[in-house]
Amino acid sequence: MKARIRITAAVLLAAAALSQPALAQSGPIKIGVVTPLSGTYTPIGQQVRWGLELAAKEINAAGGIAGRQVNLLFEDEEANPAVAVQKAEKLFQVEKVDFLAGTVNSGSTLAVAQLAERNDKLAATTVSFADSITADKCSPNMFRVNARAEQQSVALAAWLEKEKPKSKVFYLGPDYEMGRSTVAAFKANAEKTGAQSTGEVFAPLDAKDYTQYFGQIRASRPQVVYTSVAGNDTVRLLTQLQDFGLLSNLTVVGASGTVTSQNIGAIGAAAEGFATGVGYSTQIDTPANKKFVETFRAATKADPDLYGADSYGLLFAYKAAVEKAGSTETAKVREALRGLSWQTPQGEKTIRAGDHQAMQPMYVVRVNKGKFDIIANVPADQAIGPDTCTRF
Amino acid sequence: MSPIDYLQFVLAPQVVNGLALGVAVVLVALGLTIIFGMLDVINMSHGEFYAIGAYVALAMGAAGIGFWFLLVLVPILMVPLGMAAERLLIRPVFDSKDRHVTTLLVTFGLALIVEDVLKVIFGPNTQRPPTPIPGATDLFGIIVPNYRLFLIAVGALIVAGVAYVVYRTRLGAMVRAAAFDRNMAASLGVPVSLVYAGTFAFGVGLAGLAGVLLAPIYSVFPTMGRDFILLAFTVVIVGGMGSIWGAVVAGLLLTQVQALASLVISPVWTDPIVFGTMVAFLVFRPQGLFGRLGHA
Amino acid sequence: MRDRLTTSMRASHVLALIFVVAALCLAAFGAATGDTFYLRLGTEALIFAGLALSVDLLLGYSGALSLGQALYFGIGAYVSALTLMKVPSFWLAMGAAFLVTLAAAIIGGLIANRVRGVYFALITFGLAQVFAKVVYNTRELGASDGMIGVPVIQIGLGPFSVSAASPAGFFLVVLGIIMGLYALTAYLLDTPFGRVLTALKANEKRVPFLGYSVWRARMAAYVFAGLVAGLSGALYPMLRGFVSPELMFFATSGNAVISVILGGVGTLIGAIYGSVLLVILKSIIGSWTEHHLIVIGLLFMACVMFLPKGMVGFVRPRIERLLGREPAAPEPAPPSSATIKSGSAA
Repeated sequence: MKARIRITAAVLLAAAALSQPALAQSGPIKIGVVTPLSGTYTPIGQQVRWGLELAAKEINAAGGIAGRQVNLLFEDEEANPAVAVQKAEKLFQVEKVDFLAGTVNSGSTLAVAQLAERNDKLAATTVSFADSITADKCSPNMFRVNARAEQQSVALAAWLEKEKPKSKVFYLGPDYEMGRSTVAAFKANAEKTGAQSTGEVFAPLDAKDYTQYFGQIRASRPQVVYTSVAGNDTVRLLTQLQDFGLLSNLTVVGASGTVTSQNIGAIGAAAEGFATGVGYSTQIDTPANKKFVETFRAATKADPDLYGADSYGLLFAYKAAVEKAGSTETAKVREALRGLSWQTPQGEKTIRAGDHQAMQPMYVVRVNKGKFDIIANVPADQAIGPDTCTRF
Repeated sequence: MSPIDYLQFVLAPQVVNGLALGVAVVLVALGLTIIFGMLDVINMSHGEFYAIGAYVALAMGAAGIGFWFLLVLVPILMVPLGMAAERLLIRPVFDSKDRHVTTLLVTFGLALIVEDVLKVIFGPNTQRPPTPIPGATDLFGIIVPNYRLFLIAVGALIVAGVAYVVYRTRLGAMVRAAAFDRNMAASLGVPVSLVYAGTFAFGVGLAGLAGVLLAPIYSVFPTMGRDFILLAFTVVIVGGMGSIWGAVVAGLLLTQVQALASLVISPVWTDPIVFGTMVAFLVFRPQGLFGRLGHA
Repeated sequence: MRDRLTTSMRASHVLALIFVVAALCLAAFGAATGDTFYLRLGTEALIFAGLALSVDLLLGYSGALSLGQALYFGIGAYVSALTLMKVPSFWLAMGAAFLVTLAAAIIGGLIANRVRGVYFALITFGLAQVFAKVVYNTRELGASDGMIGVPVIQIGLGPFSVSAASPAGFFLVVLGIIMGLYALTAYLLDTPFGRVLTALKANEKRVPFLGYSVWRARMAAYVFAGLVAGLSGALYPMLRGFVSPELMFFATSGNAVISVILGGVGTLIGAIYGSVLLVILKSIIGSWTEHHLIVIGLLFMACVMFLPKGMVGFVRPRIERLLGREPAAPEPAPPSSATIKSGSAA
C-alpha cells in the first residue's frame, strides 16, 4: 500500500516537473536563490534575500528585464554544500531557472560553481569572499560581485599605513581555511606598507571564550589587532576585549564580515572604533545609495549591510547583461557579463573579464555611534589585485 | 618575553580566565548531571533549556525587569516548563526497555524543535543583555572583569546550595532514594512520580539559571544550546554521572587543561584533548572520578 | 523450520522487493521522460539510505545507538574522491574506500566497544566530531571548503559501462549496491552470528554462558556497519562531484538516526524507506518553509514515542500474517505483533 503511495507520489512529482512548460525566452525570467535560511548563517541569508527581493520588486515595477518579469525562487541551503548542490540542481533542472545566486560559505559557492558548469548555467555569489573563488578555483560559470578578501585587505592596509604608520599588529583569526587566508592576506599587505607583526593566534570556530588569548595579546603590546572572526564570535571577542579593558588603547580592525548590521547591536559600545575595508556602507553619500537605504529600511525595517547591497546590485548586473545579450542563453549572457560596468548603490562596478571578479571602489569604514562612517576611499583599480585565474 | 612578563600577562590570567569559564561549564553541567544521575535520562535538550533561560532573561530584561530579580524569576519560570516536558515526553517512554536511547532520542527531537522555535520568536540575530556589573578589577596586575568575579562567587554559592539540598535535606534523601531503588522508595512512601518530575524540573531550572548568568558574557542566539553541550557531557562523564562534586572538579579541571594547553599547542587541538580525556575515562574509569550518585 | 525472526525478516524482504520494483518504475519513468533532478535526488536518498542501514544494524540489532556514523560515511566519501581525482576508476575507488573504512572502523571499534549504552552514543558522537574538526582544518583535504573537481566516471560492469552522469544509469548502479548491502546485512543477521547479536540485545549477560564472545560479536557488527557506511559514502562524490566536511558533521549522523526512527528500528528495510521519506519531506517542506526542523522534529518525536517500529512496524505485521498463512506452516501463526520482542533486560 505504502509502495503504491510512493510510486504515485514519484509519478506526480515527475509529472509536475514535466508539466511546467519550458518557457524559454518568454514569460518571467526565473532566478534561483540558494541561501542559508536556517542555521548559523541565517542572518546573512536574510540580507541576501532582502536585497534580491527589493531589486526584483524595483525591476519588475519598471517593466522587468527586457520586458519580462523577474521571478525569484528561494531554497534553504542550511550552509551545507551537500544541501546547496541538491537545491541548486532542483532549481536548474526542475524549475529551469535562468540564473542562480545566494550561496554564502565558500564551500557551497565552489560546489555550486562546478554544478553550474555541469548544467551549463550561470551562477553568482554576493557574499563569499574567499580569494580562491575567482583565483585558483575560478569557474567560467561563476561570477562574484562582492569584494574579495584581497580587495578588503588592500584597502584596509592602505588606510592603516596613513593612520598609524609602522604600527605593531597582532592577528587573531578563526582557525579554519577562510580565517587563515584572510589573516595571511592582510598580513602580507600590512607588512608591505611597513607594519610590524607581533604575533598571531587562531581560535577555534565558535570559541566560547577569547580571554585565553588576551594574555598573548597584552604581552606582545600591539597597537592594532586585526581579526577575521564573524557573527557570534565577533560579539564575544569584542565584548570580552572590552570587559578586560583592552580596547582603551588598541585599534581593532578586521574583515568586512566581522562587524555587520546583524551583530553590531549585540556588540554595542565594544564595536566603537572598529575599522574595516569593505565595499559598502549605508553612509555612502550618493543619491543612489540614499534612495536604496531608504527603500530598504521601509521594506525590511533593518539597515542594509554589504551582503544586502551586493545582492541588490547583482540583479541589475544580470538585467544589463541579459538586455545587452538579447537573450538568457548561458554563453551569450556570460559574454555580456564579462567586462560589464553597471551602477549600484556602492558606485560603479565592473566585472573583470579575466576572472569574473567585480572591481569596485573600496571604502574603509569605522564604527562611530553604531554607524559605519566612511573614513577613506580606495579606487577600484588599486584594490583589485592581479588576475590569477588561468582556466579561461 | 621575560619570565615575569609571561607569568603576569599570560600564565596567571590564563588560570583566572579558565576558572571563570570553568564555573560557566559547571553551571551548565550541574542540571545535566542531576537529571542523568537521578533519573537515568540523557537530556539532549539541556542546552536548549539553557538557551530558553537566556532568551527569557533577555526579553524580560528588555521589558525593564532588573537583573537581580531575573536571577530568581527565570529559574522559577523554568520549573513548570520542566514539569511539562517530563510529563509529556519523558514519562511516556520512561519504562521502555531501552530508556537511555529512547529518552536521548526524544530530547534530541525536542532540541531540534526548540532551536527553530527560538528563531521564529526572537529572530536569527545575536543579541546580548547589558553587563549587569560593569568595570574590571586589578588583582596584582591581572585584570579581571567584575562580572566574572561575581560569576565565580555566585557559581560557588549555587553549587553549595544544590549540594546542600541533594545531600543534606530530607527532600534530597527522597530523591536519592528514588534514584537508587525506585520500588523500595515507593514502598517507603516516597512519591516517586512527583520526585522524578520535580528532579527533572530542578535540572531544567538550573539550566535556565545558567542561561541568565552566562548571557551577558557569551551572548544570546538561537543555536547557543549546542555551545556547551559536548563540554558539559564530558564534564558529567569525567566527574561521574550524577555526582555534583564530580561535576565541579571535572569542570574546573578540564577547562584548566584546555586553557593551559592552548598556550603550547594550536587551540584547535584543545577540543580533541578534552574529548580524549572523556574517552580515556569512559574506557578506564567509566564510573568517573566520583562514581554515581545514589550508587556510591 | 521458520521462527518469528525469520518470518519478520521475510516480511522485510517483501517490503524490499516492493521498494526495488517501485524504484525500477521510477527509473523507467524518469528515463522515459528525460528527468534528471528526481533521479539524482533518488540516488542521493539511496546513498544516505546506506548510512541509515548501518545505523539500524547497530541500533536495531545490537542495541547500540551511534551518533557518529557519518564518520565512516565521510571517510568513504573522502577516500573515494581522492582516488577518483588520481585515477577515475569506480572499482579502485570502492576498493580504497573499503580498505580505509575497514581500518578506521577497527580502530573506532576498539575505542567505542569498550563501553555500552549511552556511553557508546556519546563516544561515537565525540569521535565523529573530533575527526570532522581535523578534516575541517586540514588544508590538504580542502579544509572547510571541501574538495571539488571529482571527475564524472565511467563505471565498468563487465560488458557494460555506465556513466555516473547518466541519471537513470547511475541510479540503477546505486540501487544495486545499496540493495546488495541490504541483502548482505539481512543474510548475516540470519546466520548464527546474527542470532548472537539479537541475543545480545535481548540479554547481554546470558550470551557468554552460551559460549559466545560478546565483545567479538559486537566488534564484528561495528566494523561491518562501518563498512556499509563507508561504501555508501564512497558513492557520494561520484554523484555530486565533490566532498565537504559537512558530510561528517552531526547533522549527517542525526539525519541517519531520524531516518531509522521514521522507517522503523530493527527492520533494516525501514532505514531505507525512512531515508527516502526524509528526503521527500525535506524537499517538500524545505521549499515551503525554512522552519523544516520543527516539522521533522515533531514527526521524529511522535515516532519515538508512539511508533517504536516506525512506518514499517505499521505495515509489516500484516505481511507477516500473510506469510504465516502460507500452506506449509504447521507451527502456530505468529502473534500479530510479531516483531522482535525481547524479554526485559536483566
